[in-house]
Amino acid sequence: MQITLMQGILITLVVFICAFDKHMEAFMWFRPLVVAFFTGLCLGNVQLGLAAGAVTELSYLGLLTVGGTVPPDPLFAGLMTTVLAYTTGQDVSAAMGLAIPFALVGQWIGIATNTLYAGFLPGVDRAAERGDEKTIGRIMFTGQFLYAILFALAAFLSVYAFQSGIAAFVNSFPEWLIHGFEVAGGLMPAVGLALLLVVMLKADNIPYLLAGFVLMIITNCQNILPIAILAGAIAWVGYTNDVKKNNNGATVQEKVEEDYSDGI
Amino acid sequence: MASEKKLTKKDLDKMAYMSLFEQSCFSFERMQAVGFAWGMSDCFRKIFGDNNEEMAKALQNNLDFINTEPHMAAILQGLVVSMEESGQDRELIHSLKTGLFGPLAGLGDAIWWYTAMPIVAAISCSLAGQGSVLGPIIYIAFWAITGILTRQWFVRMGYNAGLTAVKYIGDNAAALTKAAGILGVMVVGGLIPSYVTFQFPESLVVAGNVSIQGIFDSILPNILPLAFVFLLYWLFKKKNVNTMKLIIAVIIFSIIMAALGIM
Repeated sequence: MQITLMQGILITLVVFICAFDKHMEAFMWFRPLVVAFFTGLCLGNVQLGLAAGAVTELSYLGLLTVGGTVPPDPLFAGLMTTVLAYTTGQDVSAAMGLAIPFALVGQWIGIATNTLYAGFLPGVDRAAERGDEKTIGRIMFTGQFLYAILFALAAFLSVYAFQSGIAAFVNSFPEWLIHGFEVAGGLMPAVGLALLLVVMLKADNIPYLLAGFVLMIITNCQNILPIAILAGAIAWVGYTNDVKKNNNGATVQEKVEEDYSDGI
Repeated sequence: MASEKKLTKKDLDKMAYMSLFEQSCFSFERMQAVGFAWGMSDCFRKIFGDNNEEMAKALQNNLDFINTEPHMAAILQGLVVSMEESGQDRELIHSLKTGLFGPLAGLGDAIWWYTAMPIVAAISCSLAGQGSVLGPIIYIAFWAITGILTRQWFVRMGYNAGLTAVKYIGDNAAALTKAAGILGVMVVGGLIPSYVTFQFPESLVVAGNVSIQGIFDSILPNILPLAFVFLLYWLFKKKNVNTMKLIIAVIIFSIIMAALGIM
């Protein structure tokens, strides 16, 4: 289906707001679930937004900003999954695979501003020297708004301006290729989860991973909260034991430093 | 030194809201420096009044490299402001800030990004997947409420309890991080069977009439998703394959499997 100019403008506004939040990472409005929901609202198809958001959110779960790296962009992933599903009529998991190139666009904007804003620092330093916090605020908000404007601009181009070209390109794909993207959509959550494990998994954690996995299979309840509560209980017991051990001796400071040497 | 308190509860709350911009103007050179310093500037102004010289020193003291978790930054800002208010040595403030942002980042990442987010996302997505608007609403509400309340709480924690509180967190960060790790890893374990779809079609059979998927299911249900996650984990961790290459590889793999008609 075609996206009208009005819808295009509404979506651009949504992206502006979500990108504003993305720069701060304050309210998580840049996450696919939220972006896709709002995009669906703008397109008058809330159900599509919900479905696209649910699939994309989980796939981009592990693709997080860690230590200043810029991952493929969850905002554009949520946005374009919804938009492509709407304009091409494809299934949301196929649309998510097709949206990956757009997630790269978002990633590049992030890298560009992170580089550009180093050039703002001399101005900030000069203002600090004068004790002029107002100017620091002005420079900071310039960066804040510029980031959101760049995202909104890129969104307007990909959602509205180039929509027919993009849709025609996708619709020229043979069926097996589209199905391939669908399969990729089903596998994408594995990438996010594997990335989470890269940061979290340690040798003494593996039993808990397997326990969570087996619990989900045997209960088959499709709801993560019971497992999370059980995990919380186990973690709580472990934590109180560790604190007791800490207080019983051994210089703690060294221990802390040691533990941070490999990730969290 | 008679340290009269110049900052009110209102000032601290305002700093908590300004702390929302902690990551604003992020640059590769000094990361969160600008937002971190700006967040405290109103409190500094209240402490130093028209004394621009002191103001300048306090700002400059906080404008070098810092990279921590945005929620946790509020604790540091509370601590720095309380130490500035009581007129403590700037070098001490600086070294504390520099020493603490790393452990706080590790702890914050473990709590917010690796534990809270998968859980909240899994619950919200399962609702959204059933077509309920409650999914995104719960998601938005959770992050809005925790985003504001924890910042108010963290600023006060850093400000009131000062060194003792931050030292307690520093001392127990390893234990807290480990606990958060257990919670997070177990949740990820539970997410694998529900969200990763790695399945061969029923029509794919070998040796007469045995379905390939059936063979895997009789070994262990969902063994393929688990194995696939571990394969990717191994590629990330041991082979240092970068994310983008891996995503592209997954797409190519899927397309080949689809083209051959085996998935």
